[in-house]
Amino acid sequence: MSNLSVLLNGKIGNLFLNFEHNFKNDGITILYGPNGSGKTTIFSALGGFINNLETRILFNGNELHDIDKYPPNKRPFGIMFQNPILFEHLSVEENLDFVLKRNQLNTQNKSLISKEYLINQLELNSLLKRSAENLSGGEKLRVVLARTILKHPNYLLLDEPMSDLDIKYKAKLLVFLKDFNKKFKIPILYITHSIEEISQIGDQIVLIKDGKKIDSGSVSNILNRSSFVDLTGKFESSSILEGIVSRHDKNLHITTLDLNGQKLIVPGLPGKLNDIVRVRIRSRDILLSSSRIKTQITENELQGLISSIEIEKNSAFSELVIVLKNFNNNRKKQKLRARITTYNLKNKKLLIHDNVFIYVSSVSIDRQAYQSK
Amino acid sequence: MDIYHHLTSDFIAILITLKLAIVTCFFLALIGTPLAYFLAFKSKKTKPFIEAIVTLPLVLPPTVIGFYLIIFFSPEAVLGKIFIILTGEQLIFSFYGLVLASIIYSLPFWVQPLQASFEKIGRDTIRTSYSLGAGPLDTFFNVIIPLCKRGFFTSLIISFAHTLGEFGIVLMVGGGIHGKTKVIAISIYDHVEQLSFGKAHILAGGMLILSFIILLTLFYFNKRTVVRVK
Repeated sequence: MSNLSVLLNGKIGNLFLNFEHNFKNDGITILYGPNGSGKTTIFSALGGFINNLETRILFNGNELHDIDKYPPNKRPFGIMFQNPILFEHLSVEENLDFVLKRNQLNTQNKSLISKEYLINQLELNSLLKRSAENLSGGEKLRVVLARTILKHPNYLLLDEPMSDLDIKYKAKLLVFLKDFNKKFKIPILYITHSIEEISQIGDQIVLIKDGKKIDSGSVSNILNRSSFVDLTGKFESSSILEGIVSRHDKNLHITTLDLNGQKLIVPGLPGKLNDIVRVRIRSRDILLSSSRIKTQITENELQGLISSIEIEKNSAFSELVIVLKNFNNNRKKQKLRARITTYNLKNKKLLIHDNVFIYVSSVSIDRQAYQSK
Repeated sequence: MDIYHHLTSDFIAILITLKLAIVTCFFLALIGTPLAYFLAFKSKKTKPFIEAIVTLPLVLPPTVIGFYLIIFFSPEAVLGKIFIILTGEQLIFSFYGLVLASIIYSLPFWVQPLQASFEKIGRDTIRTSYSLGAGPLDTFFNVIIPLCKRGFFTSLIISFAHTLGEFGIVLMVGGGIHGKTKVIAISIYDHVEQLSFGKAHILAGGMLILSFIILLTLFYFNKRTVVRVK
């Protein structure tokens, strides 16, 4: 399987871009970085809209940077831009047909994604006959997403697609994207600022800052790394844990996850039995103790080993990385970031390689961040 | 008999004026549209320079443009010579000389509304269309033109009305030759000079009403579009 290999070099506006990465050809890859770091520029370059940069784009053995051979209208990508645009002189359905009419050759062997499927999934039925100029932000976004997908792209590029949506619909669309990605094996490159979105749908993540790649890897790895924390700021620092659903309690509306032999209770009923579910826990929501607290104060008690301690200068806080104990004897390691006051750290005499008990309330486990695999 | 003669002469002037406005708008569509597109999307460094040139006819006295055009159109000048070789006729004092002068004079009236309209739909619309698989021409005819209907309409109406009302340049370049280059504006001038106020009234009043109706149509439709957008 070939990858999407991208190299960009040069100055655009005030930004010095020096970016190189091989994007995986499956799953969902997140492109994450502060505003103005070059994420959207990478999309523009992939779309063929930038000609004053040194560009090398290889995809399925094709040299896409050859703009004469691959002008913007002949590239195999489906791009949803940051401010999605519908053609307002057309109805919603005509907008969808616009792309079907122009991509008939592509659709021959991949007729799996039907217009009807998208209309159903994205609940567009009641919108079809409406004029594109009178849609709400959320409606517009769904139509644009459907139109982009109907191109049957070999790679789907989405630039902050959810920024305009209310929370309820966002959760639905994220589930749709994840399912779509798995079902049709169309890889997605996804720009977002939302850690919730990253933890819910991201498989891979590429961190970018000032036009350069800072780090890349799987989401569960990167989110615990300092490179990511540096970008988000310490306050948002969090960890992703993966657990297997071992019990649903439908009366109390909670789910018990098995984390390599340790139990974690989360609110709600995500996934099915034996599904893998991801949860995000904010570092500041974690309590630590060097000994077991007999009258347990939270639903969850986990055990781990302190693998690093960082005492922040000119700040009240310290950040610890804890490796969770694995009682299942497989080699899978899960890491947790904890943020406590340095006062607390000194008081409890916590040191590197110490065993610790971790207490975290189920209330603070992010309900939006579930995702079953 | 005399009145009849004048009526037909005025009628011919009206026909010439309308023909001039229609032919001018046709060529403006061919020349001004790509120019507006270029100014809206393509030009960067050259933009102020080209914009200044295109806008010149708005600020220059018509006599200045007329003066230079007479020089360029004269049989001794390159342009005038080429025209004679191609058609066997002089460019100056001819109908096509008038057309050429009108194109130059009305160019800003075609380019500016259309350019604003193109800029309003923006680069992102074009990029979206390209990325959906539509090529540049496909995009222009099936996305940009329908989306900029209002801009085209405004350009057409204003350029048409403006060409109808030309006087200075038309007089200098065309010479006001009856049946050839004499347009309504010149007829009115002649009538007033001869103190035939009655005939001047008919033509002037006609122009006033026609121009008003044209502008009213423009603002009526544009207002409605604005309301619909909101």
